[in-house]
Amino acid sequence: MKIKISVLFLIVFSVATQAQSGEISKIDYVSQIKPILVKNCVSCHGSEKQKGGLRLDFGDPILKGGNSGAIVVPGKSKESKIIHAISGKDSESRMPPEPKDLISADHVALISTWIDQGAVFPKQEMVASGVVKKSDHWSFKPIVNPPVPQNASFKWARNPIDVFVYEQMLREGLEPSQEAEPLTLLRRIYLDLIGVPPTQSEIDMFLNDKLPGSYERAVDRVLDSPRYGEKWARYWLDLARYADSDGYEKDTGRPYAWRYRQWLIDALNADMPFDQFAIEQLAGDLLQNASLDQKTATGFHRNTLTNKEGGVDQEQFRVEAVVDRANTTAKVFLGLTLGCAQCHDHKYDPISQREYYQFFAFFNSDMEVNIPASPLPGEQELFDRQLEQHKSKLAPIKASLDARKKEIQKDLDEWMSKLNKDSLPTKIKTLVGIPSSKMTAVQKNELESYRLSLDDKAKAIQKQLGDLEKNAPVQTMTQTLALGKPRKTNIHIRGDFLRKGVEVEPGTPSVLPLPVAKGELRRFELAQWITGNENPLTRRVIANWVWHKFFGRGIVPTLEDFGTQGEKPSNPKLLDYLATTLSDNNWSLKSLHRLIVSSAVYRQSSTVEPEKLRKDPYNVFLSRQSRLRIDAEGVRDVFLSVSGLIDQRIGGQSVKPPQPPGISELTYANAVKWNESKGLDRYRRGVYIWFQRTSPYPTLMMFDAPDSNLACVRRERSNTPLQALALMNDVVFFECSKALGLSLAGSAQPPLNTIRAAFVDCLSRLPSEREMAQMENLLAEFKRHYQSNPDLALKVFENAPDPKGDAVVRASWVAFARVLLNLDEVIVRD
Amino acid sequence: MTLSQKMLDEYRLQGRRSFLTNQASGLGLLAAASLLQENQVQGSAQDLSPFAIRAPHFAPKAKSAICIYLEGAPSQIDLFDPKPKLNELNGQKLPESMTKNVRFAFIQKEGARILGCPRQFSKHGGCGMEISDFLPHLATCADDISLVRSMHTEAFNHHPGQLMMNTGTPNFGRPSMGSWINYGLGSPSKNLPGYVVLSAGRGTSGGTSNWSSGFLPTPYTGVLFRNQGEPVLNLNNPQGLDVGIQKASIEGIRNLNSIRNEMVGDPEINSRIASYELAFRMQSAAPELIDLKSETKQTLDAYGLYREEPELKASRGGGKGQFHSFASNCLLARRLVERGVRFVSLFHASWDHHSNLNAELKQNCMMADQPVAALIKDLKQRGLLDSTLVIWLSEFGRTPLGENRGGSTNVTGRDHHPFAFSIWMAGGGIKGGQVIGKTDELGWNIVEDPIHINDLHATLLHLFGMDHLKLSYKFQGRDFRLTDVAGKVVNKLLA
Repeated sequence: MKIKISVLFLIVFSVATQAQSGEISKIDYVSQIKPILVKNCVSCHGSEKQKGGLRLDFGDPILKGGNSGAIVVPGKSKESKIIHAISGKDSESRMPPEPKDLISADHVALISTWIDQGAVFPKQEMVASGVVKKSDHWSFKPIVNPPVPQNASFKWARNPIDVFVYEQMLREGLEPSQEAEPLTLLRRIYLDLIGVPPTQSEIDMFLNDKLPGSYERAVDRVLDSPRYGEKWARYWLDLARYADSDGYEKDTGRPYAWRYRQWLIDALNADMPFDQFAIEQLAGDLLQNASLDQKTATGFHRNTLTNKEGGVDQEQFRVEAVVDRANTTAKVFLGLTLGCAQCHDHKYDPISQREYYQFFAFFNSDMEVNIPASPLPGEQELFDRQLEQHKSKLAPIKASLDARKKEIQKDLDEWMSKLNKDSLPTKIKTLVGIPSSKMTAVQKNELESYRLSLDDKAKAIQKQLGDLEKNAPVQTMTQTLALGKPRKTNIHIRGDFLRKGVEVEPGTPSVLPLPVAKGELRRFELAQWITGNENPLTRRVIANWVWHKFFGRGIVPTLEDFGTQGEKPSNPKLLDYLATTLSDNNWSLKSLHRLIVSSAVYRQSSTVEPEKLRKDPYNVFLSRQSRLRIDAEGVRDVFLSVSGLIDQRIGGQSVKPPQPPGISELTYANAVKWNESKGLDRYRRGVYIWFQRTSPYPTLMMFDAPDSNLACVRRERSNTPLQALALMNDVVFFECSKALGLSLAGSAQPPLNTIRAAFVDCLSRLPSEREMAQMENLLAEFKRHYQSNPDLALKVFENAPDPKGDAVVRASWVAFARVLLNLDEVIVRD
Repeated sequence: MTLSQKMLDEYRLQGRRSFLTNQASGLGLLAAASLLQENQVQGSAQDLSPFAIRAPHFAPKAKSAICIYLEGAPSQIDLFDPKPKLNELNGQKLPESMTKNVRFAFIQKEGARILGCPRQFSKHGGCGMEISDFLPHLATCADDISLVRSMHTEAFNHHPGQLMMNTGTPNFGRPSMGSWINYGLGSPSKNLPGYVVLSAGRGTSGGTSNWSSGFLPTPYTGVLFRNQGEPVLNLNNPQGLDVGIQKASIEGIRNLNSIRNEMVGDPEINSRIASYELAFRMQSAAPELIDLKSETKQTLDAYGLYREEPELKASRGGGKGQFHSFASNCLLARRLVERGVRFVSLFHASWDHHSNLNAELKQNCMMADQPVAALIKDLKQRGLLDSTLVIWLSEFGRTPLGENRGGSTNVTGRDHHPFAFSIWMAGGGIKGGQVIGKTDELGWNIVEDPIHINDLHATLLHLFGMDHLKLSYKFQGRDFRLTDVAGKVVNKLLA
């Protein structure tokens, strides 16, 4: 209060002094005000930085104001936020923020007076700034298809990728590694493209093909496999933060979420061009005559978290979902950390907070809609069956209601005679006294209905009916995003949705080329802009993402950040070559995969030479392949596949394979029930495991599966004792060991051959002499151990007694299979 | 076995290339440690396993922490922050100025009335700390604890609130306190993980997200131990595979992995071998941990392991057996700390007393009071309290207003209150026997020494010898901290 008074006093005083010297002189902006603003404000609110969306170095933006709205109200200094701020009375909004930097009271008074005089600017100050942000940052520059260097000495090269890599390798004083062994290569393409190792017959087929081009033919076979869709859908599901439940608290299940995954598997198997793939996921609902599939694709943005906790502010969580949609879109397609501009201008990249909310606006009018889905094979039959059951339950109850109706018809007249006329509804009143035999059908009906409504027996039956109807089977649904009522978007001051700043329209960051579309910008135009050829980011980001899956490291190692804080591309020409190749080949992902796996770079051995490790520890320059631990779902897939338990069906609903007891109990008040899947569903691939956000399937999490709360562009690859325990002892993994062990025990071959064949099965290579010796010894040791304790051997089969065969032998093979499956190499792509 | 022998032999005849047999001794660690190095974790580069001991920024007071998390928000008004004024104003409205800009979870603003508190508060210890009659055992530890009556948070729903308290922001996907501390310092325990979680009662709203490693590498996730049966997931070998088989198996795995490593020279294989060996050690260390045979009857009684558990109809507490479970967890916490485990979290749900507060809070206090007090005394007696921080936490507090959800007039509980609530800390460099912070006479707002969750976390890291501004991890283009973008060390808390 004190400050306010003194400021007012000063204003009065300064005006008064001026008055004494004659008229109140007109304050001149250019000579008197501008220097104060330039000196005190422009370092944060000038051409370089515009904190709070505010620029104070010339007239037009001063009058326009910042993210919180106008700061100058001409003629009304008391209502002008700028005066409030520079007078420094409120520590929250004080400007400049440090008390020692505050503008002198004289100057505050001068600015107040100038505002009161109308805040007049000379004409030249009123030109719109039209600031177009420019950046020299590499990723914002257009993609130029780089020429492939021609050099006859690059004999090693199989395709242009190799030329770009080799050129760099030479500069770094490195030489390529030799090509990996054929079977290692075969296992590599299987694991990378379809996520399961080759079966014995697939190895046979490969080795039988002795003509040139056998590798390429194997690549084609693998790319044609429907398992490809499963493997690559899993990668994309990480970006889509896919889960089968809401997230917060009760973490309610989402029984239809899987339909989006189904769409994904199908789209990838069909090699849907990536631009279309992106557009359908971002705006499939806005396409002309959008098909059910296209709407299902928008399920991409239905994977945001939901909080159904009692007492939540629904608007808060709606806004959070929109924030997530905006951030995820930017991260996945543009490699931008847009979310950093949610509370303030981006600290490093040329993205303002205003631009953040312009991007946010694309998603702000969306609503979540579940629509009926066309049933999949098997589903209609199931529904029909359930409907039949439902009807058969309904029938007897309906019959008993009918019976009751008949009953009351019998003594209708007698009942009517006992009625107290005064308490009856008017309609019924008029009927009393008329014998039922003389009534019209309508009258009779009315009376009967009235009686039924009072009848306890009938009421009980009707309640039963109602309860049953509530549980009537429903046709399956699909989760989609749809355009709701247009909603205005305001900047959220400091990211707080309760503090609304100025209104903004949908728009894209100005540092990037403008959308081609004219007129209103919606999600569809955003999707077009993202996949347009002018956009320098999307193709680079996607090509880099794909590359990462084959080498374990991106050309830009920070896959999620192509901004100024991200790492620079290790080989920019290669990245741009891949990016243009992607769009030039009709955005075909499979073509890009084929190109990559055909390259000599990809086909190198992953053996690590000490000299190379010293020169290039992170394998940036690719003078070798990398050994990569397989992803969480892949670990399961390999175990199921090698043991022969894997379910061959593609697609379908999520499953709940066995998990240790006590996991679901960790959820909110045990709200989540884990009803273990039966039959073949137990052996489905990892991609189909139901993802419960508050109690995810433990063996997935142990192997670094993402938590599905935010888009995850690259997973960690940890190596922990809990993984060891799981691979040895988890119900499912041990079931695999047992299945493999029993099949080995049943082999008619001599033990040595069986050992060798099992080794090839698990690792797609032949064992060395030393490895053979180790394994022989081990098997012998297990046998000795069980022979000295045959009861122990019987215990292995306690739950599934098998009278046939020798328990000691079979138990030994099971223990042996367990060791084999626990070798490092089993869960590594060499 | 359909793979023909002929085919294999042919394949072999193609001539296998000679593999390198030289190991990449030492150098390989470079690649394995990329994660830690890129994030410039302090300490030596020699041992780069996730739990290798790393030096703190300055001399620490605490070596371990036991975090007792009472999920659901215990009523501070009925336990720690006496407000006699409430009884005076029982049934009256709060002044509108207090509730004007407040969002409630369940309370209907119009009809909300102040709810008095029937608890008796008396002074305890040399310091004269006022504690409720629901916590008689804890009251005997008054001189060891520092009671904070001025905690505040932004979140007012459970799950976001729990994330806020455990990870520093109300969002999913951030690392929890225990993850950060292990990431910063490693763990001295050779046979057990550095971050162990024990749970009693029913599940928390936050589930496993309360002990998630977020964007930090997976090994920093809290490992859930159970106090009976199989203490760690997959710890027991399947039926018919005894220690002998297991020992031979681990050796076999090591030998075969070593041969492979000679071929390919990948340091990750050495880590894998080490993981299997630690797993094997855990297989004996974890059962030893939960086996309480070596504890005296006196100790077991002090913790109240075998107390009688009164029955209560319709309790949120989490069903029968929780008294034993919670007491065991407290004792196990001490045993974990003794074995070098860095961070132990004990969860119990739920304390969300929207109704039936008097009876249910009493039940929960009867469960928690004795074992928690025993834990403090036990640690002290063993000389462990000085280096072990014990914290009593929840996501927020409860309102001085009665809860009238749905306009109900039958008011028997309190709603969520984020503006002022109480927690306490003891040991590990905390100055005991003091009360920090003050709330107004209704307990609505803080009037002295407000402490935000970010401040609490800053203080926690400080006690472990770490500067909360320096302990960061680069993720999605930004350096993230446990304290998000705020946090000040609360010097008053420090001894």
